[in-house]
Amino acid sequence: MKQTLYLAWRYLAFHRLKTFILLTSITLILYLPVGLRVLVNQSSQQLTRRADATPLVVGSKGSPLELVLNTLYFRSDFPEPMRYSEAQKVRDSGLARIVPMYVRYHSRGHPIVGTSVDYFDRRELAVQTGRLFTFVGECVLGARVAEALGVHVGDAVISSPENLFDLAGEYPLKMTIVGILAQADSPDDDAIFVDIKTTWIIEGIGHGHQDVADGEAAGAVLSRDGNRVVANASIVKYNEITEDNLDEFHFHGDLSDYPITAVVAFPPDQKSSALLQGRYENADERAQIARPSEVMAELLDTILTIESFVLAGAVIVGIATLASASLVFMLSLRLRRREMETLFKIGGSRANVGALMASEMVFVLVTGIVLAAGLTFLTSQFGAALVRALIRM
Amino acid sequence: MRLALLMMAALMAACGSSEEVADVAPSERAKAPLRVYTVSYPLAYFAERIGGAAVDVTFPAPAEIDPASWRPGAETIEAYQKADLILLNGANYAKWVERVSLPASTLVDTSESFQDDYIIIEDAVVHSHGPEGEHSHGQTAVTTWLDPRQAVTQARAIQGALLAARPEQGTDFEEGLAALEKDLEALDARMEEALGSDAPFVASHPVYQYLARRYGLDLHAVDFDGDAWHDLEHLLEDHPAKVMLWKLDPPADTASRLRDMGLEIVIFDPCANRPAAGDYLSVMEENMARLQSALSR
Repeated sequence: MKQTLYLAWRYLAFHRLKTFILLTSITLILYLPVGLRVLVNQSSQQLTRRADATPLVVGSKGSPLELVLNTLYFRSDFPEPMRYSEAQKVRDSGLARIVPMYVRYHSRGHPIVGTSVDYFDRRELAVQTGRLFTFVGECVLGARVAEALGVHVGDAVISSPENLFDLAGEYPLKMTIVGILAQADSPDDDAIFVDIKTTWIIEGIGHGHQDVADGEAAGAVLSRDGNRVVANASIVKYNEITEDNLDEFHFHGDLSDYPITAVVAFPPDQKSSALLQGRYENADERAQIARPSEVMAELLDTILTIESFVLAGAVIVGIATLASASLVFMLSLRLRRREMETLFKIGGSRANVGALMASEMVFVLVTGIVLAAGLTFLTSQFGAALVRALIRM
Repeated sequence: MRLALLMMAALMAACGSSEEVADVAPSERAKAPLRVYTVSYPLAYFAERIGGAAVDVTFPAPAEIDPASWRPGAETIEAYQKADLILLNGANYAKWVERVSLPASTLVDTSESFQDDYIIIEDAVVHSHGPEGEHSHGQTAVTTWLDPRQAVTQARAIQGALLAARPEQGTDFEEGLAALEKDLEALDARMEEALGSDAPFVASHPVYQYLARRYGLDLHAVDFDGDAWHDLEHLLEDHPAKVMLWKLDPPADTASRLRDMGLEIVIFDPCANRPAAGDYLSVMEENMARLQSALSR
């Protein structure tokens, strides 16, 4: 038997290219459906976990998926904003504690997440260095943002204008970094967090400028009529909030009218949750309430449907590959007729020659299975990190 | 579009990690007193009266500072952030609140229910620059608690917030509110009786608007934070007041000059900050006694 295995091994080693192609085909055809399954399972768990940690999301009517993806992952298009009064309405209902969200702006490709300090407790995010923001104009960076930008506490990041050609649009705001979060291996690592009022300042609806009653602003004043002062656009607007100019920053009008993209609601119990959802059943309501776990379950169903198509495809390809491999073996047996005759002539029995041929096939199959199992194990261990790396490329 | 969202979701999910966030069940809430932070002393006093031992009330402004113009430092704001409840006065009082980050769920605007009754300061500067159009800053009177009936409304808002946070202690809070309401209503009745006067008054600072409205006082204010002598002389020509309200004792030379103008100085402490002695009610009683005494002369 030992000699048979040795001869099989020598044959495969001599025909390296053929063996390599066969091994690769068999390994991939076994690995693809299993590895895909593992990756999808991991994805499902991650989606479900973050969604389950976010009981309810209130946003403008529209795609619940877009709302949930924007609120949970800071991705997808900027959803239709709604008024901050919606957050106050949820809070005043007494049915849930709230975390308002305004996810619209970016800084060097990283989302700026306008929220409240409650967010960090709710997501169990810890500060690695520094502290959470306390004043408008301060920001806290996710671990990967700090690493990617090479910045530290005390440095600053600048918001990116939405439209470079909109000269009358919002000014970039320079925000001081006061804290960096510990790595959480979540979308929070890639975000820049600010108080929601800071995002309103980025938007320009809150701002700071020279006091129009101040002598230094005299050059910008076009007219004074009693308490009515008209200034031109040359009045100095601050693009950084500092200790000195903090008191000059102000918001116009009623904060209830200010924009937000979502309210994350945390009801204390099932009854409160049901009551809160019931309030948004009215078709006339301009806002919607989404249960992220349900939205994600629906999404997963769709992903699993796609996955089953992919699996079916993989199985068909697998059958074709195995058929091809069988054909290769059969053709190979024909080509090796003279070799087998030689083996018979030097005294090899039919059983020995059959065992030699079978050993070669079994060797290739077993090696293919082992390699596929190894790849599947690696996928289960490093799949998420690999996808993360691919996304960042 | 939908397919793009699906693919994005699948990829992003793989980036996720373990994180479990569970809402804190009511039964698991700490047995420790509720940590309540306020932006003015009257709110702290009301919360202490209503909450009793069930609350740990903090009003962190230094004693010598007017809380309306105070700006807390980062450490103090971090302490506010950790509170279970943050009681705001509303009416644009403590403008620092709009420039800091406080948890939305813990904020309680105690005067929200009567915001339509805020007194608008007519002489606030209005300005315009650029596309936002005309706007003004700080145009409402802020010392809402000087009208005891408004103070009762604010106290009820506090009781509502405490009740929502600790429903199991609702009876205690109701009893605390009832006792406070009784005291405030009694104060209101005494002040109505004591301050019923058609006499003209002047005030050194524009902080008594709600007091004047509640008791029908003919009161006009100048702002002695600036150079107000000209304004005062001009005002007295049409408004022959004999009594001038001050938040604190004026400087000696100012007091002397005012007396020379025939004005009697009466200290009426709005009690925005914690008094050195006594409490909100006793300070208001003392204010009333001083004013009543001046009116009787």
